[in-house]
Amino acid sequence: MPAILYFMFYASLGLGTSLTFLSSHWLTAWMGLELTTLAILPLMAQHHHPRASEATTKYLLVQASATGMLLFATILNGWVEMSWSINEMKNPYALTLAMSALALKLGLAPFHLWLPEVMQGLDLLTGLILSTWQKLAPFALLMQISQAMPPTLLTILGLSSATLAAWGGLNQTQLRKIMAYSSTAHLGWSVIILQFSPGLALMALGIYIMMTMAAFLTMKDMSSTKISTFSTSWSKSPEKMVAMILILLSLGGLPPMTGFTIKWLVLEELTKQDMYTPATLIVMAALISLYFYARLSYFTIISLFPGTTSIKTYWRQKNIKDKLILPIATTATLFLLPLMPLTLALTYFYN
Amino acid sequence: MAVSRVTLQTPAGVCGLFRRQLLQPSLSHPTILSTRSIYGEYKRPGQPPDKRWPWEKIRFDFSKGVEGIQKHFGLLKDEFVGRLRGPEGRPLLDHMLEQTLVQWEFRGPESLDQWVVSSDKEIGGQSEAYLKLGKNNTTCMLYGTLCSVPPRDGETRYSGYCTLRSKQTLLSFDRKRHFDWSTFNTLYIRFRGDGRPWMINISAEMYFSHNKNDIYSYFLYTRGGPYWQEVKIPFSKFFLSSRGRIQDDQHCLWLDKVCWTNSSAKSHSRKEYHFENIANLRM
Repeated sequence: MPAILYFMFYASLGLGTSLTFLSSHWLTAWMGLELTTLAILPLMAQHHHPRASEATTKYLLVQASATGMLLFATILNGWVEMSWSINEMKNPYALTLAMSALALKLGLAPFHLWLPEVMQGLDLLTGLILSTWQKLAPFALLMQISQAMPPTLLTILGLSSATLAAWGGLNQTQLRKIMAYSSTAHLGWSVIILQFSPGLALMALGIYIMMTMAAFLTMKDMSSTKISTFSTSWSKSPEKMVAMILILLSLGGLPPMTGFTIKWLVLEELTKQDMYTPATLIVMAALISLYFYARLSYFTIISLFPGTTSIKTYWRQKNIKDKLILPIATTATLFLLPLMPLTLALTYFYN
Repeated sequence: MAVSRVTLQTPAGVCGLFRRQLLQPSLSHPTILSTRSIYGEYKRPGQPPDKRWPWEKIRFDFSKGVEGIQKHFGLLKDEFVGRLRGPEGRPLLDHMLEQTLVQWEFRGPESLDQWVVSSDKEIGGQSEAYLKLGKNNTTCMLYGTLCSVPPRDGETRYSGYCTLRSKQTLLSFDRKRHFDWSTFNTLYIRFRGDGRPWMINISAEMYFSHNKNDIYSYFLYTRGGPYWQEVKIPFSKFFLSSRGRIQDDQHCLWLDKVCWTNSSAKSHSRKEYHFENIANLRM
């Protein structure tokens, strides 16, 4: 694809998300969501493979349905409450419908089944955009209407996302599907705390985006899309694979990596709110997720799998494609736990 | 419907043609709304189309319903238990360490149930195809007669083929079960043929209806001798064809959702054939 087209589509992605961020009217927010959806479609279908076309079609159908539902909810609210403002959504039916629509857009359980299939048909860079950038605009809207939403519904959404995503990702061998289920699980953690501390939910989303970026960029460098390919990638770049183990464990929420911040602060907030049962259930679901992340780490570099070469490392040419973003994302994923008090203060600032 | 050339040469004529199509829909039979017209089911050449409504094809039987419920819930329970074990019900370590996966082998009469044999007899031809177990019940023998005389139905011009295809395996509630061959890169077959070239076809799960006839194919040349022959075909060699036509826009075969595989042969005259094989998958 010519560079000018790439620029156009990426600029439209940025424009759509920014439009949604800056909106106070539901119609402009809807426009921003549609703009991001339409802008990413050519990026998804650029490889002209039937699986890419399938992923694009499924993504379009799901996102268009979700945006249609959202528009219906906002029109219902506008008709009943006489208000188009995002912050003044009070009608319970409209709120529930809007929340379902946003959950479908984000890939939260029980509306998450499209996400692994779509991710599987994409290349790693587009998958990264889908897992990270495309979550921002719907999450911003969810944050703005979260205070009026029934708390039980948010808790159920969060718990079911964490649990079903953990169960679904348990025996995947395709890395993109694992990252899709990881996306659903992490969003579950954000959503469950949204009602009590929107700042903390935003922080959880931000940390998730950093970790996912590090994981996807490493996979892209290794050109690995399956666990088996990943297990033989250590000879390409042993340093990156060592970092990858730590990135995966950070995704699983193990200290002393940054990913532990989410688990720690969310559990602390849930226990402060006397929500002991949901806290227990969500941490048990996180254990299942941690199991498959740890298993992936084990197969990545700790075990030496049968390969076709007896040479320990490849003869490597200087890699001229190294970009600065991967080291930044990896550093942020692994070493930011000591900055937790600062991030916590920032979340209080948002609240 | 027959249209004169003069009608098509003028815009008014073309518009009139469309108006006639819209204003005078064919109401004689409900083919527009039938499942066949929507999904394009196969119609045997020379046979009248099946114009029944979908509810007319249902045969309700209570006992079968109870059996079906037991069967499907049993399969669902097995899936849940298998999920605790690992991907596709096997431990992940097996999945990672295995170099070879024997996907199909012939070890008894029940292994023949996994295959479907067909020939052009289904479309009115005269070829015959049969499948039986070979000696010691360790191989299977596909044999019969190929006849290239086309059926007299006014539609078919070529004939004379036979095929041995693996059945589509199903999960609970009739969901398709796909094979995940993504950790392998070669198809390995051990067989003994009669010197005739065969074609090996693999079909992956497709989403769009215009891809439903997409098949990845490669050739298999048999030697015909008394000795067994082993062939390794890399999956990258398979080329994409649709309804027998090789596609210009070739894509590689995605191995994470393979539906079935088959071997087929064609003849230009009336000849007997036999193809004895054991099938293996190897990396």
